[in-house]
Amino acid sequence: MSEKKHRVSRRQFLNYTLTGVGGFMAAGILMPMVRFALDPILREEEATEMVAVAQVKDITTEPQRFDFKVKVKDAWYEADEPKSAWVYKDEKGNIIALSPICKHLGCTVNWNADESHPNQFFCPCHYGRYTKDGTNVPGTPPLAPLDRYEYKVKDGKLYLGKAKPRGEA
Amino acid sequence: MKWTVSDVDMYEKEKQYIDTALLPLVQLTLSNATKTAVAGGELVQLLASEVERQLKGRLFLLPPFTYFLTETKEECVKRLNVWTDELKKSGMAHVFYLTSDRMWNETELGGKLFVLPSIPLEHMDEVYQQQMVREQTSKLLSSFISHWT
Ligand code: FES
Repeated sequence: MSEKKHRVSRRQFLNYTLTGVGGFMAAGILMPMVRFALDPILREEEATEMVAVAQVKDITTEPQRFDFKVKVKDAWYEADEPKSAWVYKDEKGNIIALSPICKHLGCTVNWNADESHPNQFFCPCHYGRYTKDGTNVPGTPPLAPLDRYEYKVKDGKLYLGKAKPRGEA
Repeated sequence: MKWTVSDVDMYEKEKQYIDTALLPLVQLTLSNATKTAVAGGELVQLLASEVERQLKGRLFLLPPFTYFLTETKEECVKRLNVWTDELKKSGMAHVFYLTSDRMWNETELGGKLFVLPSIPLEHMDEVYQQQMVREQTSKLLSSFISHWT
C-alpha cells in the first residue's frame, strides 16, 4: 500500500466533514424528540412547575381573581405569560381555582359581571355562563366546564400548576 | 385572535362568532417627531394585544393600519374607509380602531374610534407602568363590551 492511496483527497475530506456536521445537526434535532418519545417522566416534570399565587388567608368563599405569570418557552424565545385564576373556598373549605378561559372560544370570563345572572361566571364574548363551581350553563355557547388548576398549599401560600379539564385535576 | 396561522384556523371554523375587527392606527415618521410617534404606536399595540388576550373569541386583532406623517388627512381617511368597507364586506359587524393620534375623527370613519390618552410610559417605574396598562386595559375592555351590547 502506498502512502498515496491513504491520503484523503479534498473531496473525501469535504465529504467526511460534511457528514460529520450533518450528523451533528441531525442529532441536535433528533435528540430532544427521542428524549420526549422515550421518557415521559421528563415531560411530566416540566408540567408540574407550580407558582405561588396568593396567601391562603386572603381566600374567601367569594371567587377572587388572582393574576400571575408563568414562564413559557416556545421555539424562538422565553417569555412570561400572564395568567389568572378565580379562586375561592367551597362550603367544605376546599380551595377551588378555576381557569378564566372560556371553553367556547377562549375569552376571559368574569365573576358576577352580568346583572341578570348574579353569582355566575360570565363570558362577555357570546354570553356564555358558568355556575360558581365552573359548570357550564346549558343553552349558553360553552360545551364544557371551566378548567381547574392543580394546586398545593405550602407555608400559607397557594401554588397553582397546570389548568386541567374537570375530572383530571 | 391574532394575525397568525394557528389563529386563522379557528377563524375559518368559527367565523360566525368572530364579528369584530380591531385595527390599531399607527403613525409612521422618521423625522424629529419619531419618538412621539413610536411611543404612541407602542402603547396602542401593547393595549391592543392585552385586550385581544381577553376577548380573543370574538375579536380579531389585525396588523396595524399605518400611515406616514406626511400623508394628508383626507388620504388617510379615504384609505382607512376602504379597509373598513372591505372588513365589513368580509363579515365583520364591528370595526374598532385604536389609536393615540388625535388627528382621527370618528364622524368621518365607518368604524368605532377609541383614542388613548398619551401616557409617558418611559418615564414611569415598572410597577406604575403595569398599573397604568392594567387600568387602561380594563377601561378599553368595558367600552368594547358596552359597544357590543
Ligand atoms: S368565548 Fe365565551 S361564550 Fe364564546
